[in-house]
Amino acid sequence: MASMEKRLQKELQALQRDPPVGVKVDTDKLTSNLSEWTVNLTGAPGTLYEGENFVLHFKFGSRYPFDSPQVIFGGANIPVHPHVYSNGHICLSILTEDWSPALSVQSVCLSIVSMLSSCKEKKRPPDNAIYVKTCSKNPKKTRWWYHDDQV
Amino acid sequence: MGNCLNTPTADDISLLRGSDSQDGSETANLGPPPPYQESVPIYHPSPNVSRTVTQLTEEEQIKIAKRLGLIQHLPTGVHDGCCKKTKECVICMGEFILGDRLRYLPCMHSFHKDCIDDWLMRSFTCPSCMEPVDAALLTTYETNN
Repeated sequence: MASMEKRLQKELQALQRDPPVGVKVDTDKLTSNLSEWTVNLTGAPGTLYEGENFVLHFKFGSRYPFDSPQVIFGGANIPVHPHVYSNGHICLSILTEDWSPALSVQSVCLSIVSMLSSCKEKKRPPDNAIYVKTCSKNPKKTRWWYHDDQV
Repeated sequence: MGNCLNTPTADDISLLRGSDSQDGSETANLGPPPPYQESVPIYHPSPNVSRTVTQLTEEEQIKIAKRLGLIQHLPTGVHDGCCKKTKECVICMGEFILGDRLRYLPCMHSFHKDCIDDWLMRSFTCPSCMEPVDAALLTTYETNN
C-alpha cells in the first residue's frame, strides 16, 4: 500500500472513531484508493452559518502528506464568505504555502469551520466575479494573496 | 559548479543474481531484454514543486545541496521504546516501533528519519511547530559556545 493510502486509512479510522462536532466523512463517496473524499460540514451553533450544511471535496495526490490536498466546497450550498469564491475555491493559507504534513483532513475541516465561525458578514470576496471567470479548475494553481486573517 | 546530487546507480545485488543462472535451462525462456529503465530522482526545491535534476536551475541545485548538508547536522537515533517520548510520527501517523530510525529537530520534535528528511528537502521547517530549522540550528550552536 502506498504511504499516502496508509496514512489516509489511519486518518479515516480516527475520524470515524472520534468525529469532531460538525464534521462527517461521507464514506459512500470514498474512492477505493482513498484519493478522493467527500466531507459534510455543519455550520457551528451561534454563528452566521448555524444549521447550514456544506460539502467539502478533498483530492489527495500520491505525495500526500508532503503536498497539500486540493480542497474545495461543492454541492448546492457554497458558503457565502469573504474567503470562499462562488465556484467553491477557498482562500486559506494552510491549503497551499502554510501546509505542513502534520496537518490532516480533520485539522483542515476544523480550520474551515472556524474560518466560517469567525465571519461577521456574509459576502463574497471582492474579486469573486473576475476570479471565477479566469481561475484554473485546481485552486492549488492559484497564486493566493493572504491579506486578511480577521475572518 | 560540480554536481553533488545523487545520480541513480544500478542495484549490484540484482546484477549478481542474474549471473548465477547460467545452466542453459533458463535461457530458453528469456524473451527480449526488458527496456532499460532508470529511476530518475525527483527533487522538491519548495513544497508542491517537483523537478528532475536536469530541470533544476543552478540556484535550486545550490539550495538543495546546502539543504542536504544541513540535514546531515541534525541528530538521528534509534527508537528505544521509551514511553515518555513521542509515540507517533505525525507525518506517516505510524507509531514509533523499537528500532525505528528517528531524527530529532532542534525544537525537540522527533519523526521517522525517512519521513522528516523527505519534508525537510521541501521546506526547512518543523511540521509540528513550524519553527524554521536553520534558525533553531544557529541558536543551538550559539548556546553551545
